[in-house]
Amino acid sequence: MDFSAVGAAASEALTLASFIGIGGGVLLGYIVGVIPGLSRSVAISIAIPMTFYMSPFIAISFLIGLSKGTAAGSAVSAILLNAPGEASSAATALDGYPLAKQGKPKTALQIGLIASVMGDILATIILIFVAIPFARVALMFGPYEMAAILAFALVFIAGLSGGNIFKGLAAGGLGIFLGTIGLDNQTGLPRLTFGYTELMDGMPLIAVAIGTLALSEMFVQSEKLRYDRENMSVALKKDADDRITMPIFKRILPTILRGTGVGTFVGALPGLGPSVGSFMSYGMAQKAAKEPEKFGKGEPKGIAASESADNAVIPAALIPLFGLGIPGNVSAALLIGAFAIHGITVGPLLLRDNPELLYSIFAGMILASLIMLVLGWYGLMFFAQITRVPPHVVIPIVIFFCLAGMMLQGYGTFGLIILMAFALLGYLMKKYDYSFVTFLVAFIITPMLELNLRQSIILSRGNWEILLNRPIAMFFIACTVIALVALIIRTFKKEQAVANAPAD
Amino acid sequence: MPRSDFWSGLAVAAFGLLALFWMIPNYAGSNPFAQMPPGLVPSIGAWAMVICGVIIAAKGLIQMLREGAMPLSADLHWDAVGWAAWPFAYVAVAIWFMSFIKLTWFGAFLIGGMLFLLGERRWWMILGCSVVPVVLLYILSVYLMRVGVV
Amino acid sequence: MKKLTLASTALCALIAAPALAEEWRPTQPMTMVIGFAPGGSTDIQGRVLARTLEEYFGQPVNVVNQPGGGGAVALTRFLNAEPDGHTFMFGVQLGLTFSPIVTEVAYEIDDFRYAGTLVGGQFGVVAAGDAPYQTFEELIAYGKENPMTYAQQLPMDEAIMRIIAEQEGIDLAIVPTGGGGGMAPLLLGGEVDYAFSGGTHAQYTPTGEMNVLAFLTAERSPFYPDVPTLEELGYPYAIDDFRSFFLPGDTPDEIVEAFENAARFAVEHEPFVETTVENTLHPIVFMDAEETEATIRSIREANEALMAQ
Repeated sequence: MDFSAVGAAASEALTLASFIGIGGGVLLGYIVGVIPGLSRSVAISIAIPMTFYMSPFIAISFLIGLSKGTAAGSAVSAILLNAPGEASSAATALDGYPLAKQGKPKTALQIGLIASVMGDILATIILIFVAIPFARVALMFGPYEMAAILAFALVFIAGLSGGNIFKGLAAGGLGIFLGTIGLDNQTGLPRLTFGYTELMDGMPLIAVAIGTLALSEMFVQSEKLRYDRENMSVALKKDADDRITMPIFKRILPTILRGTGVGTFVGALPGLGPSVGSFMSYGMAQKAAKEPEKFGKGEPKGIAASESADNAVIPAALIPLFGLGIPGNVSAALLIGAFAIHGITVGPLLLRDNPELLYSIFAGMILASLIMLVLGWYGLMFFAQITRVPPHVVIPIVIFFCLAGMMLQGYGTFGLIILMAFALLGYLMKKYDYSFVTFLVAFIITPMLELNLRQSIILSRGNWEILLNRPIAMFFIACTVIALVALIIRTFKKEQAVANAPAD
Repeated sequence: MPRSDFWSGLAVAAFGLLALFWMIPNYAGSNPFAQMPPGLVPSIGAWAMVICGVIIAAKGLIQMLREGAMPLSADLHWDAVGWAAWPFAYVAVAIWFMSFIKLTWFGAFLIGGMLFLLGERRWWMILGCSVVPVVLLYILSVYLMRVGVV
Repeated sequence: MKKLTLASTALCALIAAPALAEEWRPTQPMTMVIGFAPGGSTDIQGRVLARTLEEYFGQPVNVVNQPGGGGAVALTRFLNAEPDGHTFMFGVQLGLTFSPIVTEVAYEIDDFRYAGTLVGGQFGVVAAGDAPYQTFEELIAYGKENPMTYAQQLPMDEAIMRIIAEQEGIDLAIVPTGGGGGMAPLLLGGEVDYAFSGGTHAQYTPTGEMNVLAFLTAERSPFYPDVPTLEELGYPYAIDDFRSFFLPGDTPDEIVEAFENAARFAVEHEPFVETTVENTLHPIVFMDAEETEATIRSIREANEALMAQ
């Protein structure tokens, strides 16, 4: 490791501007995380236009701080409201809410916070030590390997982010189709633009992201308001006994470490995401516990398991991103867009050409974890108050920021129409249970996939035998086929089980 | 939900077919030198939609037949549909407005109006929630990003 | 329509005539249109340029991004801009010299006025530092014996390489890259033999990882005085691109002149020069209004001839 670069990185990470940028990101993320219904990807997609004029390092650290903040903040509403701010904190609510009801809301929040911060820091350290050697290896990957890995990631995400592989693939197919709109990257001729000059650079990513993620979610939420307006938040009271103690901490420490391990593993695989990580960790903690029957009734270990894994996923998802330039989930995919806006190509070359930037980002990530600890610890009362903000106040404000974010992009009315179209699409996909995550990831990686595929076909000069000398590519092609078959069988089995079950 | 599976599967397959037989042949272009025609990848996406859409629709249909359900449901709640639809109409009108007036100038009314429609009646709440975001946007666009009023 | 344009230009000139004694100055905040999304090299240069112009004109300059179609979207909308000098474009010439050839656009070179060039391009052909050829001649000789692969970025450089390969009898496969960021790993990873570079090479030549074999521009690059251009090597092809001020077609002469002087001021202005050269790796090239327009027309003709082949 180049130590002068590390030193320079650390000093850049410690400037006042970066402190404000990262701290602002974490704070914003925390607030977004606390508000139920406002999710991480909503926040990132709206925040990207705000980062244009920050330096690349601050912009990226701001966005990573934002995602970290949402993961920690979502525990607050899971514990006090029993309504997780993020799906990934649903497992936290299983024990957090009962513990809060038993008169220990503060203890529950502090356990959640400490588990979050520890999971976060440990996973960031793992990221630093894994991503760098990984990026060195990945430099040897050519277009064949990249095309094979991208295809694998796509199938994997399609199968795992929704229950039904066919719906996942259909959504992916739409993403691929829409992702090819724009100038053909070889001839420079317009493709599928239907004569609109505005589409020559493709469907604007920000419009697609804000539309399918943020705006459509607001429509879903406002529809829900008709049926459900309840807001019952557990209030925090002054109680000297209601705090985390050393014995509790010692008891949950092994759980936190296990949760971090699970979260890191799940995060590094494309497509699984934090929800899988936190539930998996919760299940494992329950199995390993001496008194598993206590889980679900306010067991501190349950909160620790879920929150540590939830937070560990976020840095771990950056391993394939920094190593290969492949996003493992929607937030990482949006980060690719953010990097591109700052003229940086994410991938193995980033380490080589821009080591200072990468080290600064790592330093910024650690800083973000520490800020999160301080903010979460001292801001407990404040964040607890935010859980009392009713959803009907949040919806109009977020819609306003969706429109504003799009206007800041400079695409004009055309961009707004695209935004609206994708909001409708996102709403329908959510309503009919098609994986919008797969759609968006497919949309974002299609240009990359197509380019690598085309390069492979041209470089091989139509000679398929060339693949025999490419064991890594062969391996991933085999994985893609196996995953596809296995996921199709799984979908059919599940349907069979549903069909055989007595009708309800 | 076999019924919604059936119809959504049909819609997906129909869009895939439209892409395959009209959009791609007419608008994808060609490249005589390239070993890979520009229409290949969009066609893969379109085929994925057609095949998966047909499977989803077929499975939905089989299940409906098994349950003896009808493809169309009679108990459609128009007020529920209306409640789901009005925010779309509201935002669409706002977008139409935005082609004449800058968002910053009427953003407060946009937020305030929707808050009122969603049932908020406390005037100070409406005022605060509608003015603060607009001021933030103004500061962001004019002073921080220097793109002028948007 | 044309007649009307002429008439209004004449009218403008008449009205403006008495004011000629003193140079034109803006009276309200100005808007600079950039045809690319924020963050690209054009945008970065443009934003520093906006500060420089604020200093020169004494009015705030707002930057508006109108991305799409390599500048084509912005140019299309720019057709309707008021010719009062308060709205101008800092643009890449490709939108005029290339886009109209391959797609239908609503504008032509005659629809705008050109008030001076500030930044030049440095398109070149590069090979990896450890390749068995270090000059373009060696590359051709090597190519006659071995099948070669080339990574393109623009349709024009692909056309040039195709013609040269045919002429020299080289078995050449041409792959697209996703811009300079995608070219570097292909070339350094040994997947392709040589590649087009729009400026990315500046990052890699100091370490010896890349070698510029030849420039595709009409003139040699000031940063690499020893590297010949393709034309010098006996291949009569060149592609060039410059970044200039564009003004609406009916803009009176005195405003064009003011922008020409502003360009002259900017290319001497330290922050702009520093950002352009060091952050975005582009050379500063100044041309006056007349030369800019002539250059755009000649590049357009050259591109048309090239794409027809």
